[in-house]
Amino acid sequence: MDLSPDPDLETFRNEVRGFLRRELPPEIAYRPRVFMSRREDIVRWQTILNEQGWGAPSWPKEYGGAGWSPQQCLVFEEECVAAGTPTQDIVGQKLLGPLLQEFGTPDQIAKHFPPILRGESIWAHGFSEAQAGSDLASIRTIAAQDGDDYLVSGTKKWISYAHQADWIFMIARTLPYPDRRGGFHVLLVDMRSVGITIAPIRTVARFHHLNEVIFDAVRVPKANLVGEAGKGWTVARHLLDGSHAAVADLPSLRAYLWQMKELSGNQTAGGKLLVEGREFAIKLGRFEAEVDAITMMVARVAALSQIPERAAELRALSSMLKLRSTDLQQRMIDFLLEAIGDFGAVETDTIENDPTAASLPGFAGNIAPELFFRRSSTIYGGSSEIQRAIIARSHFGM
Amino acid sequence: MRFDLSDAQKALRDTVRHDLAEHAKHFADSAGAASRDALRRHFASHGWLGAGLPPERGGGRDIVDLAIIARECGRQLIFGSDLLATALVSQTIVACEERASGARNLRELVAGERILSLAYGEPQSRGMPDPIATRAEGANDDLSLFGLKSLVIGGTEVDGYVVSAISGEETVLVLVDAKAAGLSRTQVRLHDGTLACHIELDGVLVNADDVLSRGAGAMAALRAGIARGIAVLCSELIGMLENTIETTAAYLKGRIQFGVPLSSFQALQHRLADMAAELELARSSLLGLLSAIGHSDEETINYRASQTKSLVGRAAKQICGEAIQLHGAVAMVEDSAIGRAYKKSLVSDILLGGSNGHDAQRAEELQRRLSTDELRWLELLPLWWMP
Repeated sequence: MDLSPDPDLETFRNEVRGFLRRELPPEIAYRPRVFMSRREDIVRWQTILNEQGWGAPSWPKEYGGAGWSPQQCLVFEEECVAAGTPTQDIVGQKLLGPLLQEFGTPDQIAKHFPPILRGESIWAHGFSEAQAGSDLASIRTIAAQDGDDYLVSGTKKWISYAHQADWIFMIARTLPYPDRRGGFHVLLVDMRSVGITIAPIRTVARFHHLNEVIFDAVRVPKANLVGEAGKGWTVARHLLDGSHAAVADLPSLRAYLWQMKELSGNQTAGGKLLVEGREFAIKLGRFEAEVDAITMMVARVAALSQIPERAAELRALSSMLKLRSTDLQQRMIDFLLEAIGDFGAVETDTIENDPTAASLPGFAGNIAPELFFRRSSTIYGGSSEIQRAIIARSHFGM
Repeated sequence: MRFDLSDAQKALRDTVRHDLAEHAKHFADSAGAASRDALRRHFASHGWLGAGLPPERGGGRDIVDLAIIARECGRQLIFGSDLLATALVSQTIVACEERASGARNLRELVAGERILSLAYGEPQSRGMPDPIATRAEGANDDLSLFGLKSLVIGGTEVDGYVVSAISGEETVLVLVDAKAAGLSRTQVRLHDGTLACHIELDGVLVNADDVLSRGAGAMAALRAGIARGIAVLCSELIGMLENTIETTAAYLKGRIQFGVPLSSFQALQHRLADMAAELELARSSLLGLLSAIGHSDEETINYRASQTKSLVGRAAKQICGEAIQLHGAVAMVEDSAIGRAYKKSLVSDILLGGSNGHDAQRAEELQRRLSTDELRWLELLPLWWMP
């Protein structure tokens, strides 16, 4: 065990800061967002990053990535959050990229990776359906064989940002299937295909982020199959297991902490600064301690993910990380809502005209939408109940 | 950062694990003098009492090694080792300027020839290093100590103490022999079976040789000792919690009720999963502290130690409480492993400052930093660098 911090990390952090100071256009900084930025900001930011050779910070160099260590990736994300950059295409970067690196054909990689790097192609992730959330095996979207193609029909639900995506990777089934987990295919589908309709789902977050995606005999070439035909379950499981660390969203936890500290020192209640309230200061200190612990847990998961022989241990630990970090996200954003006082009750996307918001920093307007969105963080990516079941099975053999 | 043990670290772990298991009978009685003595001699013979001390001051291993040893003690529910007491007093001495008396005592301590303990806590400070009520009266380095130190780890076998006191306006750290005139001690047995003493000092004379440190440096040295002590205590707790959770899982699998093993009930699986996640978060906090001790400044180390003590201490009580619940009545039997672990978690939340006490201290620190514009700007630097 060697717990020394990477000696070059501070130099790297300064390099990132310098880049952000020079290259981040102020007009796209600190824009409100829920989970992902709007498409035009993603694309613009991606272009700037790609020019620097940082188009895919967490990918290996052989795929056009920056080839950074997990520590460097974390530092980069932290600095981006602090500087208020738009997000990158999170699905393309964190889900589709690793998926194709593991299961994709050279043709698929050659076709899809360069557009991702250039910001020309944004991705969505289409697994869930109305009757298949935790129970992914219950999906009803069918992929019927038709020569060299599949014809895909069915409805995907709860699909984030499908309305601004160019491509979607999704899971469908060919009938008849041999057993409960057989017959699945993971497919790459062009969102401009004939037969795709997108219907928005309005959520409590009051931001358009979720959608239904309806497939009506959509023609998908078999060349778009990820992994083997009929073996989509394995591919899907691999993807979900590998997503937990990203879902922990440490940069957001750090951002929440900074926001709490900022509010604590300039907002007042009862004539005192928030931080001068004993209960407030104690809670702040406790959150800080938890975030520091989660930081180490993320580092542990990142280290384990480099060791294939420790896959079972990785599964258990990353489930524990997802379980605890999503719960922490919710508690912290709840506390942030408290910290903005009366304005916390107001349903609005802007704060220019609200007198209760006069002294609030710009990020205050995004707290309520963020809070409503975070109610789903213990639901998406494998609900907390599923994570507990995974831990019971993989860690305890129950 | 690499979290896997190196070959050398694994060898250490395996040796400790083997030795403790092999001699379990002899080591298990936390309060028995023979048991404590046997443990001490065994640890000293391997150089484990000096683990975590700089090589030039008698050590030879780093803080991670010390944590490994402590964790193994915890795993086997061996609470009677001198590891914590030794770490507290030796790390405090090492953080003081080097003096002959300190060096001599350190040598003998590490060799297991002289038993020392850190006498810093007082009833009104509740495990915190300040405020200090014990007075060192007199001029310069000819002092007389008056006051009461509570919960000093170790029983009447302890030969000497490092005592913190106030001299004028300054903190002072002094060496005191257990047999010194004016010193009387009351041995108490704590819930986890370990021994401690309450020590009354009534005009105990201290000469210049035995003054280890004075002023701001003395308080800094005391804090440094306590921070490393916290690392040791939390390492013991983490090992203990591993044992507790493993025992609970085994129990649930073996216990048949309603015709099925208890482990088939989802509610119980989920509670166990929550315990495991709590442990891993606690372990992660401890790793953060160990990393800081190896590589950060003292201010950061003290802050991390406070965070870790709070988080691990609370986790220990939570997990042990759940473990009792999942075991049912059998955990209520005296000297059950689960019962012993629970008692250790209670005592551990009182020694070295409790979770709530530490949270309150960090809250005051945050208040100081965040209510001052200039200091808050420094704290928020990442957000403020954009012009």
